[in-house]
Amino acid sequence: MAIVFKELVKASVTAVDSEDVIRQVGKMLYDNGFVKDTYVDAVAKREKEYPTGLQLKGIAVAMPHTDSSHVHKPAICVAKLDKPVVFAHMGDPDTLVEAEIIFMMAIQNPDEQIDNLRSVLKVFTSEEAVNAFRNAKDDRELYEVADQYLNEQ
Amino acid sequence: MKKVKILCVCGSGTVSSAMVAAKLREQLKEEGFDADTVETSPNGIETEIAGTHYDLIACVSPVHADYGIPKVNAVGMLTGLGEEKVVEDCVAILKTV
Repeated sequence: MAIVFKELVKASVTAVDSEDVIRQVGKMLYDNGFVKDTYVDAVAKREKEYPTGLQLKGIAVAMPHTDSSHVHKPAICVAKLDKPVVFAHMGDPDTLVEAEIIFMMAIQNPDEQIDNLRSVLKVFTSEEAVNAFRNAKDDRELYEVADQYLNEQ
Repeated sequence: MKKVKILCVCGSGTVSSAMVAAKLREQLKEEGFDADTVETSPNGIETEIAGTHYDLIACVSPVHADYGIPKVNAVGMLTGLGEEKVVEDCVAILKTV
């Protein structure tokens, strides 16, 4: 199924900290009707408790998300940050990473969206795929890359 | 194949744990294990283990308490860094059950 949509992809986001990232990117999900008005606060709160930064090979990303109860329709918002923003690492809040790409997830039923989640993992673990996201210059290019790697073809 | 039961733990009990569970099942199959996985959040562990036997807890959120079940840090499954180590750690534990 499709999980990435044109209106949820942004190649240039300027943010001061992780909460600012979550509020800006989460607003895209909310404005387009994918999540409830409780989603952004829930993600911000969860990020403090259970951070989602991930240090991959050569680049750090973050995948903020929260319970399915805040989600209307499943989607993944993909945003590239103009300047890296510090996120704490998943599973190890004392380790800080400088995230460059945000994959903000609105997942409703992990079992139904498992193929999409697998695709996300494939991107995280492939240098070639991550670099394709990193090298996308504008919203259109970033959408093409996200569509290729994350939507079921 | 040897049947094993694994509790996958992440902050929300859904997204990251489902990702880890899917990958663990695949990779452990290659090692000769038929893994049944259940996803939960750190707060849900006690309820989950109360009525069910688990051989292993795979966590991507810190789990500090000792539940008497071996734990493996599975963050490497998400980043791809140290993925083999996660599988090795799991296999080492699962071989003994």
